[in-house]
Amino acid sequence: TLGAVGLILWQCAELLRNYYSASVSVTVQFQKLPFPAVTICNINPYKYSSMKDYLSELDKETKKALETFYGFSEGKSKVRRSVDERNSTGSDFFKQIPLVKFEDFSKTATDLRSGQKRKIEGSVFHKDSSIVNSGDSNDIIGFQLCDANNSSECALYTFSSGVNAIQEWYKLHYMNIMAQIPLETKEKLSYSADDLLLTCFFDGLSCDKRHFTRFHHPLHGNCYTFNSGENGTILSTSTGGSEYGLQVVLYIGEADYNPFLVTSTGAKIIVHDQNEYPFIEDIGTEIETAAATSIGMHFTRSRKLSKPYSDCTETGADIPVENLYNKSYSLQICLHSCFQKAMVDSCGCAQYAQPLPAGAEYCNYKKNPNWMYCYYKLHEKFVKEQLGCQQICKDACSFKEWALTTSIAQWPSTVSEDWMLRVLSWDKGQKINKKLNKTDLANLMVFYKDLNERFISENPANTLVILLSNFGGQLGLWMSCSVVCVIEIIEVFFIDSLSIVMRRQWQKAKKWWNDRKRDQSAKPPQAGDLERQGHDNPVCIDEDLPTFNTALRLPLPQDNHLPTTPPPNYSTLRLETAFTEQLPDTLEVGQH
Amino acid sequence: EEEKEEGLIEFYDSFKDMFEFFCKNTTIHGTIRLVCSDGNRMKTAFWTLLLLASFGMLYWQFALMFSQYWAYPVVLTMSMHSEPKMFPAITICNLDPYRFQLVREHLVQLDHMAEESIAFLYGINTSASLFHANEKNTHVKDLPNVGNLSRSSFKLSQNFSLLRMSEHNNKSGKKHSSVGFRLCNATGGNCFYKTYLSGMDAILEWYRFHYMNIMSQLPVIINISDHEEQIEDMVYSCQYDGEPCRPSDYVHFHHPVFGSCYTFNSKGTDSFWTATKPGIPYGLSLILRAEQKDHIPLLSTVAGVKVMIHNHNQTPFLEHEGFDIRPGIATTIGIQQDEVNRLGGNYGKCTTNGDDVNVKLLYNNSYTLQACLHSKHIMVQKCGCGYYYYPLPPGAEYCDYNKQPAWGHCFYQLYNRLRNHHLNCFDQCPKPCRESLYKVSAGTAKWPSPKSQDWIRQALRHQNGYNSTSNRKDIAKVTIFYQQLNYQSVNESALLSENLLLSSMGSQWSLWFGSSVLSVVEMFELLIDTLVLCLLFCCQRFRSKKTLKVAHAPTISS
Repeated sequence: TLGAVGLILWQCAELLRNYYSASVSVTVQFQKLPFPAVTICNINPYKYSSMKDYLSELDKETKKALETFYGFSEGKSKVRRSVDERNSTGSDFFKQIPLVKFEDFSKTATDLRSGQKRKIEGSVFHKDSSIVNSGDSNDIIGFQLCDANNSSECALYTFSSGVNAIQEWYKLHYMNIMAQIPLETKEKLSYSADDLLLTCFFDGLSCDKRHFTRFHHPLHGNCYTFNSGENGTILSTSTGGSEYGLQVVLYIGEADYNPFLVTSTGAKIIVHDQNEYPFIEDIGTEIETAAATSIGMHFTRSRKLSKPYSDCTETGADIPVENLYNKSYSLQICLHSCFQKAMVDSCGCAQYAQPLPAGAEYCNYKKNPNWMYCYYKLHEKFVKEQLGCQQICKDACSFKEWALTTSIAQWPSTVSEDWMLRVLSWDKGQKINKKLNKTDLANLMVFYKDLNERFISENPANTLVILLSNFGGQLGLWMSCSVVCVIEIIEVFFIDSLSIVMRRQWQKAKKWWNDRKRDQSAKPPQAGDLERQGHDNPVCIDEDLPTFNTALRLPLPQDNHLPTTPPPNYSTLRLETAFTEQLPDTLEVGQH
Repeated sequence: EEEKEEGLIEFYDSFKDMFEFFCKNTTIHGTIRLVCSDGNRMKTAFWTLLLLASFGMLYWQFALMFSQYWAYPVVLTMSMHSEPKMFPAITICNLDPYRFQLVREHLVQLDHMAEESIAFLYGINTSASLFHANEKNTHVKDLPNVGNLSRSSFKLSQNFSLLRMSEHNNKSGKKHSSVGFRLCNATGGNCFYKTYLSGMDAILEWYRFHYMNIMSQLPVIINISDHEEQIEDMVYSCQYDGEPCRPSDYVHFHHPVFGSCYTFNSKGTDSFWTATKPGIPYGLSLILRAEQKDHIPLLSTVAGVKVMIHNHNQTPFLEHEGFDIRPGIATTIGIQQDEVNRLGGNYGKCTTNGDDVNVKLLYNNSYTLQACLHSKHIMVQKCGCGYYYYPLPPGAEYCDYNKQPAWGHCFYQLYNRLRNHHLNCFDQCPKPCRESLYKVSAGTAKWPSPKSQDWIRQALRHQNGYNSTSNRKDIAKVTIFYQQLNYQSVNESALLSENLLLSSMGSQWSLWFGSSVLSVVEMFELLIDTLVLCLLFCCQRFRSKKTLKVAHAPTISS
């Protein structure tokens, strides 16, 4: 029996332990599906022509650097003119963080402006993991960031390729400049919906810019979200296939590209849920010009069980990081918000690529000359998981995913090119008098490949019902026992035996009391004590009750004990003693 | 007393006896306590409560269990298989529909009409450059045995001309212009404009509308014998697993939009290709002609080749899962197979082979959901004629505005209803119980490379009658291969089967009462006994009353 009890306890412990496990179920459903939001951005964030006022200084500097390092002298006349036009106002900042060429790994470097060599202090960081050490180490180009308060502390960033170095350096200064421009101005500088969208066609009907919502992305300028759900309705589709999805023709405008910031041409799109923030810079799909890109989608929805089963969060409300994005929680949002918060705390200003926390402003080196060094330091900490963001942020419990299959066809075909470009240029309006070029256009089709929805959800492997029935099964298997029987056992072993013990204690206490009384009266009644535990003792009659057979057979009525009493002398003695204590008046009667 | 002795069955004297007997001898735990703790009222009450409570618990649990069972939950198991399997069927189309001799004149007329419309709408004179390709039309197919069809019966309708409409938007004050064409019902009333904000979409839709009308004159079954259409015109080289393809490996069909299509490895007389090894060398490798100069310029604006990977015996729907191949590019397409098996029955609606579906399939291939959806001939029922892109149900004919002048009106209204989900197409088409899905991932490279293109072209010219001398991009290369031979299969299985339900019921019973089915029978026995006893008592009382009456009557009479 003990062995069986042991087994049961062990098994039940196992069952309890397994109770908080989860199983995964996948359902594939077919129905009409909500169409996701599709965000489209031009790769180039702002029109280069309208950015001239802000960027001319920087461009001049970049061209100069190119000239110094590579002897690259294209467009020299243009540069000259712009040099003459405006005198440097912000160039001291460029001076502070110049591009330098490193000669060997000795600690000397050539400054691009002065041409003089200087000593480089501080630790060297390689942005590229593997430095090309092809013997010709003259190629290494980088820049140096110093702590403004403590100029001996510097960090050196080197790149194996000059392209990366120049782009990174350009971006650094670009962000400083952009941070000073207010949002309204930036929106004006970027592409308008009319600029970007030439035609739009959804599910067999024409659509226009009213179906798109503008969304300003710090790095990608104005982006447009189709079916953003902003006016409360979310489009859905009940027919798959490329004919019935979203078809747009985009105007890319290659000529207006920023030559240093972006080096590829096209658009970036991202398919996301209406409540999700589109992380264009992280997970966007790029679209080629002069081609028709068809993107077939397959929809998957997944759901994890929260708290006791796994460590995920439903709404993100239980995570101590403030959600800076105005969208529903995701791990990405949490990490970015966490980093931004750390940035504001330690550097005093906010990083440009992410939204502003309340009361903070974007970093620029007019106000925070120290921010870049601080940022690079912090970013390194973040990557090495020293900021604790990765520990604080949890996965979201439910997420939607659209798996994309992208294929590209030539567009427009040579025979249809002519009429189509004419019609499109007419559509674009009188603003452009010349015929459109096909390399300025991109055709995009987004559609559901099939209307199968895959829904992956975690269900608790054990419900309470199953847990209880497993308990029952174990109890029944090993002991043929039940809850009733368990309660019986509890009754017998605990309540009844406890009551017996209690009674014994009570008796002892009584006895002790009696002894004391008797000591006082100098009359120790030894026999009476023994008699107390006899079967006819009315106080002890309940003792046998737990075993129900005796209880059944001997339902001793209390009045019945007189005939079965042992020899009278004892009983009288007992009676006498009992009565002497309790009933002094009846004692008198008995004596009579 | 006499009855009791005489009776064959000995029976209880009273309810109390019966109850006591039951309690002492039943296998249900705890009842015995009820009787045995007679001496202690509190205990009796406690045990009664306990029994009732566990009884309640038991039935509550039962209710939960049954409700769960009747919801028919399924659990999905994923498993990886690596059995040897067949290479899927591959369909390729060249996006170049034929200009059949029968309709050729009309197509030329239509092109001219389109040209005029464009000139009218946009004021650009395009005749010089726009459709020059049509004049030296090289790719004309003549159909045998159709000479008896009257050619003059068809006339291109001028009723559906493209118009520009401009509307003032009061809010922005900006002028929106849209292009569209007018559709009316049979009596000429209830007209509406099918308008598009972009002229390009309008022209394409308008052209397609006319195109369908023209094509509807063609006989339903187009017999293009194999010797007439030669695979060499489209596929310069075909290799599977290092060996050249045989003529029995492919079938040809014609699609009204996607043009001439070949399906490899489907319904061949030989066995299907087996996939022996994963990897590019063991896949299907094709060199294709992607000529663009014959394209109908207003029908589709993309150029290239469409490829679709599908199951054997399955109708390919290229508009859904077609994969585009660009000319001048080598595309490698890696595939991976997924399989879904559904339980069907109570666990979810699905069909094994489509026999139990209300809709009769118009495609003579195996059941797929898309085939079922396309086979529904709402169009034929509502508008009286069939949409040209889909197959015809028996006895119907394709729409033609010379015969049914209102079909466009009817069609676009029907389509709007479909869009707004008012047609219950999906209710009638269940999912197939067994589905194979192919996951596709592709990589591209420029092909042929500038260094190699000279000799490649030369070789093609010699061997395959490739007759282009220009350096235009007009050939493409495709390789389709298995990335890995093991495939993932997702199987549905019942979460709660009947025996699982029974066993958990038994477990619940044993948990709350320590009893089994026999105990349940005992409970029933108790119930029956109670009833019998009730009857007996009633009888006795009735009889005793009677005897009393009988006993009294003589005393009165005496």
